[in-house]
Amino acid sequence: MKYLFRELYRHKWRTITGISGYLLASLFLMLVLSLNYSQQNDSVGILRSTGTHFIVYLPSTVSCCRPGCEDPVNGSLIAEGGFAQMLNSDVIETVRATSGVRAAAPYLLYKIHDENLQCDITLGGIDTSNIATKTNVCSADNIIAGTYLSGNMGEVVAEEAFAMAHKLKVGDTLHTFGGKMIVGGIVNSGIKPGKADLYATIDNVRDVLKENLLCISDGFDMNIILVEVADARIQPRVMNDIKKQLSFLAVSSYNCYQPASDVMGIMEGAGTVMTVLIFIFLVIFSAKTQFAGLIERYRELGILKSLGWTNSSLSFSIVLSSVIQSLAGSIAGILLGLLVVFLLGLNGARVLDSFDFIVQPGRIGLLVLLCLAGSVIATIWPVIKLARAEAGDMINSYN
Amino acid sequence: MGFIIECISLGKTYKRKGSAFTALSDINLKVSENEALLIRGRSGAGKSTLIHLMSGLIRPTSGKVLFDGIELGNSGNSILSEILLNKTGIIFQNFNLLPAYTVFENIELGILPKKTNSGKYREIINEYLKQFDLEGKEQLLPAELSTGQQQKVAVIRTLVREPSLIFADEPTGSVDDQSASEILEHLMNLKRQKNITLVMATHGNIPDRYADRIIELENGRIKG
Repeated sequence: MKYLFRELYRHKWRTITGISGYLLASLFLMLVLSLNYSQQNDSVGILRSTGTHFIVYLPSTVSCCRPGCEDPVNGSLIAEGGFAQMLNSDVIETVRATSGVRAAAPYLLYKIHDENLQCDITLGGIDTSNIATKTNVCSADNIIAGTYLSGNMGEVVAEEAFAMAHKLKVGDTLHTFGGKMIVGGIVNSGIKPGKADLYATIDNVRDVLKENLLCISDGFDMNIILVEVADARIQPRVMNDIKKQLSFLAVSSYNCYQPASDVMGIMEGAGTVMTVLIFIFLVIFSAKTQFAGLIERYRELGILKSLGWTNSSLSFSIVLSSVIQSLAGSIAGILLGLLVVFLLGLNGARVLDSFDFIVQPGRIGLLVLLCLAGSVIATIWPVIKLARAEAGDMINSYN
Repeated sequence: MGFIIECISLGKTYKRKGSAFTALSDINLKVSENEALLIRGRSGAGKSTLIHLMSGLIRPTSGKVLFDGIELGNSGNSILSEILLNKTGIIFQNFNLLPAYTVFENIELGILPKKTNSGKYREIINEYLKQFDLEGKEQLLPAELSTGQQQKVAVIRTLVREPSLIFADEPTGSVDDQSASEILEHLMNLKRQKNITLVMATHGNIPDRYADRIIELENGRIKG
């Protein structure tokens, strides 16, 4: 060890160069990892939940389950413009149990022809507390007037387009679906697969439709299942899994997840590629430094070999010297990186407004490990060269 | 009396950039234990190459070298290191001292891998420094010594390791007559007292009386 440190000190410029390489590499790696982590937290976090929804239903040629109900006046169970059969709770439990499914909500979508308004009206019964409802149908976030559903009997919210067409305002009463409905709020839910004209809580809708839907019974009280997936990247797999398990069901998505998934892949890939490139640079740079060190000491190492020093002890000194340089460089780089991240984060000194650098403590360990791995990999060629060389030839070399 | 070294049809050819140079060919030689063998020859005759081959520092391109029955050319690095560390010692023609290390450290580097008790080897080193008139020069760098003193340091570095076979390549080539006598007397004393074997190479400045046997090398072959 004494001689090892002596050598490091003796060739101080080479040692400083080696340490500087690790310092710069770990500094850049730290900034890349911090930026990458921050991106995951922000943009990737948003993209991950983009388009992660789809609906599941049982398509049918029969409009409802009551004999004689085919008359459009009596209404029909629908999904995506076609008829859909009632589903039982076993189906939603199966969907919920599918790996990757974040949430699944029951949805009851019914259409009637309203004689008073002289048009078809769709009424959606929703579970307001479920995230899958928010992403597939509507939520309190979509309210543009009035209040969202509180669960009161007869309370509905109307889609903005429907309200505009029929000049509905908050507080208006609608006489439809065989009863009175008060418009508590108006929503604009955007383009959603489960969109309806009016929404009420699913219990209220069940109650409203109980006369029309004799098939509503315990366990059979929805005709669509709204699904939310944990991550856009696994959506195709989840949809396939559900199709495999419940092959009689239609699974429908707007495929919004696809570009989000692609973008996320590109962003994460870019971060990984950047990290790999810096790591490769680190290894090449370090290998060059270590190799230069070996060539510089080649003759001396030959002399030591002739004195009985083993290849393993000399190799160990080369590896240890590289590890010491990488440890010193990476620790200095990390400290400098922390300082840079801190300075970049200061409000007054914020240079890059659009970028946030968030240090993840766990990644500091990874960074040190990367540098250590790089330092060991960098010594492979010098160690092989040392082991293969004969002491006599090394002594006679005057490089 | 057994043979400690045996060279059988030994040859060495150096190949560099398409050209080949034969430094030694068809060397057959046996060295007995406790023998003092003097290899004599002009510069370029192949003396250093023969010393390097016999000590295992380089591997032959033909033939073989047996050390105590072990074929050096086929031996692994660990066996060679073991022999170099515990059984043989080499005094190089150009000393091969490490320029950045002090006299004491240069000598210490020769004994460190033996993992000897540091107190013990310090005593031994100091004793040798005294015997070779280098007392007080322990902390000097080789460049601060005369050529003869550097030669002595190289000799001490070998002697402190107490090898049973010493290869000495021009051990007195760079010293004055008095120092040369001192070095050779030391080696002879060791031969007598500790039964070591000596293989020395010279271009002619080691008197015959220091050798039990003399061989002459010419153009990479043993003469006569």
